[in-house]
Amino acid sequence: MGTLLANLQEWYRDRRAKLDLFDETTVGQQANPLYLLGPMLYFFWIVTVASGIILMFWYEPTPEGAYNSILRIQHEIPLGWLWRGIHKYAADGLILAIILRIYRMYFLGEYKKPGELTWIWAFVGLILAMISGITGYLLIWNQRAFWAAKTVLTVPVFFDELTAKIPIIGEQFQIGSMIAYLFLGGPAVGAATLTRFYALHFGISIVLLILAEVFFFRTRRRRLNMSLAPILLFTAMLVITSYVLPAELGRRADPTRTPLPILSDWYFLALYQYVKYTPPLWAGLGPGLLIGFGMLIPFLDRTRGRRPTERPFFFVVGVLALVYFLVFTALIMFNIAVIEREPPLVLLTTVLVLSAGLAWELRYRRRQAQAAAAEPPRRPAGAGAHG
Amino acid sequence: MARDPGLDRRRFLKLMAGLPLVGGLLAVGSPLLRYLKPNVDPFAIITPTARDVVTGEPVVAATVADLDQPWAFRYFVFTQRYPQYTPEGFKTQAVPGVVIRLPHKIRLPWAWVPAMGETLEFTESEVIAFSRICPHLGCIYNYVPEWREVTSGYGGYTPPPERRHALMACPCHLSIYDPADPEMPGRVLSGPAPRPPRTFFYQIRDGQILIRFVEPGGIA
Repeated sequence: MGTLLANLQEWYRDRRAKLDLFDETTVGQQANPLYLLGPMLYFFWIVTVASGIILMFWYEPTPEGAYNSILRIQHEIPLGWLWRGIHKYAADGLILAIILRIYRMYFLGEYKKPGELTWIWAFVGLILAMISGITGYLLIWNQRAFWAAKTVLTVPVFFDELTAKIPIIGEQFQIGSMIAYLFLGGPAVGAATLTRFYALHFGISIVLLILAEVFFFRTRRRRLNMSLAPILLFTAMLVITSYVLPAELGRRADPTRTPLPILSDWYFLALYQYVKYTPPLWAGLGPGLLIGFGMLIPFLDRTRGRRPTERPFFFVVGVLALVYFLVFTALIMFNIAVIEREPPLVLLTTVLVLSAGLAWELRYRRRQAQAAAAEPPRRPAGAGAHG
Repeated sequence: MARDPGLDRRRFLKLMAGLPLVGGLLAVGSPLLRYLKPNVDPFAIITPTARDVVTGEPVVAATVADLDQPWAFRYFVFTQRYPQYTPEGFKTQAVPGVVIRLPHKIRLPWAWVPAMGETLEFTESEVIAFSRICPHLGCIYNYVPEWREVTSGYGGYTPPPERRHALMACPCHLSIYDPADPEMPGRVLSGPAPRPPRTFFYQIRDGQILIRFVEPGGIA
């Protein structure tokens, strides 16, 4: 027991020393754009927080005032459109950088020892960024925001189906509803929802910012591992996009009318399509299990190689996830969902592709074993027996 | 190796230290929960939603004369008071509903009504009132008088020949309901919805359809 704890501490201390939150240890000059993703993440994050604080000067978190205050920021207050545009597009950039960075870490095997903790933090970052996203776009109090908040927080209500199975207390112990009510501030979307979402939206970033600052202070690493040219380029991109494509306002929230069709922010679209396909209990459990699986990947993938072809099964899983993300996003944008036909098709494709991946993995391993057997042993007998 | 009596004592002491720890967690957890959700009674952690009870005001949805034709319908709005964790303590919100005249009598799905303290005056009728809050994830679904519109606008579902009449369809996740299904009014024909839409309990008073309350559940 004591040694196990000591081993765990040792493991954790080692991974913490090798923690690489924003690719700040990888390369000095960010010549490779793949390793620019970490600094991009940090840059877009800081810009999002700073512009968000500027927006807080004018924003009013009440159902009556929220939409009007955004209208005023966008159209009346000098440079309001710019701060709002920068906030929105920097947040999009942040999410994009996190997602691309996770895929890079996945396909390049960076989650392997000693990168496990870095991988877990990348995932936690993605989840918290998505929560910030959804709590943030409710604040506009437009149609998309209102219905997104309502549907997302109806999902936990179905967890009551699980807790109802607990004997005696199950009927009353509606923990799913309780979670939803805690976030909504009651059984309906209202004024309390807005203040609670506002607090979470701001709080998540501030807490993480303090943690990141502690991290940089203790490791003495460079905060923004990026030269001036990309900084200027990204800043210009944000300003130009905000000018050319002003951040959307949408229509004011109307609790009695759901528009057709209605879409969420781009990074939720694939999930939205998935929710159409599954019973509502699985709308909550599915993403939860996927996130759990994603976080545990470093402990599930015990292969030695880092190159994708050296671990065929996990390579196939990664490609499948990417393809599903893109295909589901495309399907929902064209409003295609034939619910009788598609879920069995998706399930069948998944099983077939995963089986193919497994077959590839087994074949690869057999070849490796054959190659190892054919090769004459280099080391003296006995020492290489475990090789 | 001989049994070491000291270990047992240690385990006993650990247990004795653990009990107050659990009590302490409860003592801290309950007020913390009550900060976030003030309508949980102190230490009532196993019944956290007992006080989130919704109350509504009766409303006239339509007159019987309005619904003289089969498939005639009226939208109406039923106002409910929801507990809300703000200084006001409550929020009023509209529950959109639709009252439909069906071409044949059906047995109304009112098994939940006696639990609300009401007695049923009738159990079969041609008129049925649905809450338009989708039982899936809470969007407002629409009554679609022309089924072809369901096929074109709500994800390509084509109903079988015997169901080619007015349907109900949700724009968010494309659940399709049949209001006139004889066994289960509001049966889910397609889509992810787990159950038919919730219904309103109504009474007929002086030729008017008086909506009394809605089946509880869901988020508004």
